[in-house]
Amino acid sequence: MGDLIAWLFSFFILLAVIALVLYQIMCFLDLETDYINPYELASKINNITLPEFITQGVLCCLHLITLHWIMYIHGHHLVYATEVFSELSREKKQRIFKLVYLAFLLFFSIFWMIWSIVDED
Amino acid sequence: MGTENPNHANNYPRPSAPPFARQSNTLFSSSRSVVASQAAPFRPTSVPAPLSSVPAPPSTAPSLPFGTVVGSAVPGFRPMQTGRPTAPYGPPTTGPFQRFPTAPYLSTPQAPPPHTSPVGQPVLPPTMRPPPPSQVSPMPTFQNRQPHIQPMPMGSPPPSMNGVLSSNNAPQLVNSQYFSSSSNMQRPQPPMGPSHPDAVRASSSSAWPGYPGIQSSTATPAAPVSHQGGYAPPPPTTSAPFSSQGGYGPAPPVASPLGMYVGGSTPPTGVMPGLVEDFSSLSIGSVPGSFDAGLDTKVLPRPLDGDVEPSSFTQMYPMNCNSRYLRLTTSAIPNSQSLVSRWHLPLGAVVCPLAEAPEGEEVPIVNFATTGIVRCRRCRTYVNPYVTFTDSGRKWRCNICALLNDVQNDYFAHLDASGKRVDLDQRPELTNGCVEFVAPAEYMVRPPMPPLYFFLIDVSIYSIQSGMLEVIAQTIKSCLDRLPGNPRTQIGFITFDSTIHFYNMKSSLTQPQMMVVSDLDDIFIPLPDDLLVNLSESRTVVDAFLDSLPSMFQDNVNVESAFGPALKAAFMVMSQLGGKLLIFQSTLPSLGVGRLRLRGDDIRAYGTDKEHALRIPEDPFYKQMAADFTKYQVAVNVYAFSDKYTDIASLGTLAKYTGGQVYYYPSFHSAIHKDKLRHELARDLTRETAWEAVMRIRCGKGVRFTSYHGNFMLRSTDLLALPAVDCDKAYAMQFALEETLLTTQIVYFQVALLHTSSSGERRIRVHTAAASVVADLGEMYRQADTGAVVSLLGRLAIEKSLSYKLEEARNAIQLRIVKALKEYRNLYAVQHRVGTRMIYPESLKYLPLYGLALCKSTALRGGYADSQLDERCAAGFTMMALPVKKMLKLLYPSLLRVDEYLVKSSTQADEFEKLCKRLPLAAESLDSRGIFVYDDGFRLVVWFGQMLSPDISRNLVGEDFATDFSRVSLVERENEMSRKLMAILMKLRGADASYYPLCHLVRQGEQPREGFFLLSNLVEDQVGGMNGYVDWILQIHRQVQQ
Repeated sequence: MGDLIAWLFSFFILLAVIALVLYQIMCFLDLETDYINPYELASKINNITLPEFITQGVLCCLHLITLHWIMYIHGHHLVYATEVFSELSREKKQRIFKLVYLAFLLFFSIFWMIWSIVDED
Repeated sequence: MGTENPNHANNYPRPSAPPFARQSNTLFSSSRSVVASQAAPFRPTSVPAPLSSVPAPPSTAPSLPFGTVVGSAVPGFRPMQTGRPTAPYGPPTTGPFQRFPTAPYLSTPQAPPPHTSPVGQPVLPPTMRPPPPSQVSPMPTFQNRQPHIQPMPMGSPPPSMNGVLSSNNAPQLVNSQYFSSSSNMQRPQPPMGPSHPDAVRASSSSAWPGYPGIQSSTATPAAPVSHQGGYAPPPPTTSAPFSSQGGYGPAPPVASPLGMYVGGSTPPTGVMPGLVEDFSSLSIGSVPGSFDAGLDTKVLPRPLDGDVEPSSFTQMYPMNCNSRYLRLTTSAIPNSQSLVSRWHLPLGAVVCPLAEAPEGEEVPIVNFATTGIVRCRRCRTYVNPYVTFTDSGRKWRCNICALLNDVQNDYFAHLDASGKRVDLDQRPELTNGCVEFVAPAEYMVRPPMPPLYFFLIDVSIYSIQSGMLEVIAQTIKSCLDRLPGNPRTQIGFITFDSTIHFYNMKSSLTQPQMMVVSDLDDIFIPLPDDLLVNLSESRTVVDAFLDSLPSMFQDNVNVESAFGPALKAAFMVMSQLGGKLLIFQSTLPSLGVGRLRLRGDDIRAYGTDKEHALRIPEDPFYKQMAADFTKYQVAVNVYAFSDKYTDIASLGTLAKYTGGQVYYYPSFHSAIHKDKLRHELARDLTRETAWEAVMRIRCGKGVRFTSYHGNFMLRSTDLLALPAVDCDKAYAMQFALEETLLTTQIVYFQVALLHTSSSGERRIRVHTAAASVVADLGEMYRQADTGAVVSLLGRLAIEKSLSYKLEEARNAIQLRIVKALKEYRNLYAVQHRVGTRMIYPESLKYLPLYGLALCKSTALRGGYADSQLDERCAAGFTMMALPVKKMLKLLYPSLLRVDEYLVKSSTQADEFEKLCKRLPLAAESLDSRGIFVYDDGFRLVVWFGQMLSPDISRNLVGEDFATDFSRVSLVERENEMSRKLMAILMKLRGADASYYPLCHLVRQGEQPREGFFLLSNLVEDQVGGMNGYVDWILQIHRQVQQ
């Protein structure tokens, strides 16, 4: 039962992180199509960097405590309005990679959740 | 150079050729054109007349008139096709010539250039200058470098268009002017010459029979087409300069013994008869393994004439904006991705939107008061000479996106019989590639800002000791009357050391009030309104302030610098209006936010992955501030003075992202550097400046600008935010093809700079240029512009040095040059026995040298010991903003020997040019009996040889001639020699006002000064582990051959 709750938690936290990353990718796409300017982008991205890290951290701790292997991606995190365009493709790629990774995690967390449900029976 | 002038009338070397000579030359040239043209599209199936026999064989004589006509008629043709290949020309009723007048495109407005008037007369010789006879004989094989010649006249563009366009297999003459001229004379002729198989398109030969009009047209004397819009070919006169440029023409006989073959003018004997070369080459007789390469240093190409702009840009499209505003790395745009991938040099442009125009060529200002600015509905292109009016003037077609726009009622004008607007001569925007529109209110987000100058001055102890404060106070005061935008100009000051000092300059005061803020953590503005005042209202207060400024702080012993907080304070004051912030900093920021530490130029960091970290800003504060400054339209210019490390890498970031500039005066001392600072600050304050600007470059479908390089901030993917722009700033950009294949024949570029002029008017500076699309790589290389290529390569390398090792940045330059030359070699290696010769396109003959110079430039050279970190960074920031000409001057400075001129008693105006020729930049050029002047645009070095006669030294430097030259400054003395030398220096300085080259005296053998000022800058020598020119060429050659 404890396992199931842990996986349920991690599932929702994962969803939250994925939502944040998706939002960031959307911001970059908006920038490319000129809906927002670099200043807005920088402030949007930088504002949600901290929440993202916190949720990631929580997820990590959860997995650690509940004895599951997880590491999380890091790099340099803040975006500067002055250089956004030269780094645009790299930043976007980085986030898409992150998204794929999270999707993978999500898949596993669902898998383990179901496993623990099935296991209980 | 003369290339700025579309009419190279003055380029004829011998204009006064006797009539008979001219006749024969005409004949000759026409026959040459014949050869050339046929050489283009046809495969050498039969070679009835070897090229070498071309020069006026008797049999050709009867065809004289014919040939002449050919020459004259073609100009009309070629441009038509290239110019508007997609254009639906009027129905061909009577053959090509009659078609033109009725063609809808005739509406393209342009007053016929005067020289086209003779067109239509059967005899052309007067306008078409043949090469002087003397020149003819040494060049028995004339070739063409034809830009894009289509033998077919308009009508629907034949499918083979590209093929024909690219048929540049026609041998080229070295001379680029000649090249264009001959291109005009392209005529289809019976096949007889050889051509390069790869360039031959079967379609071309099949295509031209389909145009029966051609043959007859050849005989038709008239080619009235040439005044067509922008597509008019250069009038015959333009093309005339068969004359060699730079001595290449006459050179051949001399050159071949030396081992340098100049583009086919002296074909090597080993080459099949009639096979002429399209390239220049250096014969390198190197025996593998031997050290002595057998390469004569004298024959290496050197840009001793300075920057020569390629003439094809404006010649093919005379309505293009002048190349001082826009230079493409190649004026032949590749038509496919695969072609782009084989062009290994940068593909892009260098734009200098506000370049200074010489007297009489000012940019016309157009005010569409009633109509609003005429722009394309879809792509927002501004109306320009290349748009075409149709439907009796009611519609115009956008040249970039081909959308048919309605002509507003107020802008309507009838079309005349030839399809041109009747009001063409009153419409500069339709005849001139560069205009300035007065922008109405919809182009403003706020009322146009007044010019605003704000000074942030470090008054810590070093500023006082070095005398910097005094010099700038005096200079600013002397410039107050000349600040642009009077009477709206605003001005303000903040000084700082460990505290921040604000000055209330309210006009009602008699003396400025100083307010000191010492709370650096929480900056506030003590007085929001009167820190920034109108100059004309508060003039007396400002004068009083500047007078008392040096004395106010003369006893200051504060060594701290609260730079970051002061910067924030300046930002708060300026953020209402924007403007220009001039920062005078002489120590490392040490207090408050943005404080920097001595990062130390650690020798151990070099060669490791951490090396680049020293060249990028340490504290994100600077990036953040730069972004904020740009947002509020503040441009930052940084003046740095310290003799110690000041972290220019961080400070310069402020200038980099705000469209500013970094001035660095290492170890500033007013006794030495006063003139330089005074001049450059005055220039900064008084030059015409455009405020709160944004710039965008538009181009035709299928082409997209991908990256931008220079000092600015990108506001969106293609919008450059430039809080302030002036004539000394240039921006480089690269473009890429979006589609795999371009279907258009011409790509148009339009640079638009929306700005507020100092007079308070919102304006749009628009530069339009066209370039042909080609399908042939050789053509791209042929039309390359070394200056633009080098400028872009340099910027890319400097950017690379910010994230990689210097070594890698240099290697990248070398690799690109090698790849380009290799690709070029592969083009010709098959048909020609190139052997061990190094071959390169004539247009890029200086590329290897400039590449070497780039690697040896202050920003990229060597490693730890080769230049100070701050100097390196400052040079990098400076080079990122330099216009092409200035950049080339810096890379390959001029070296003049002046003693002969000084000693000579007679003084004629042209004497200087005659006696003082630029010398190769090598120690070999220095002669210990002479005086040499080295000029790179940033500093002048006067070098005294050891064995120079003491009289001369005494005359020039007085009794100091035996002492240490570092303490001697050159002043005018009471003798002819000294006056002459000063006149030379003045002349060199006058050539370009953007920087003030300070003069340093150096005596031969006086180390380390000699090494620092001169020897390390002799690009062709082997200095500090870097190759010399010969070794470099050999190295490149070796790599190319691999």
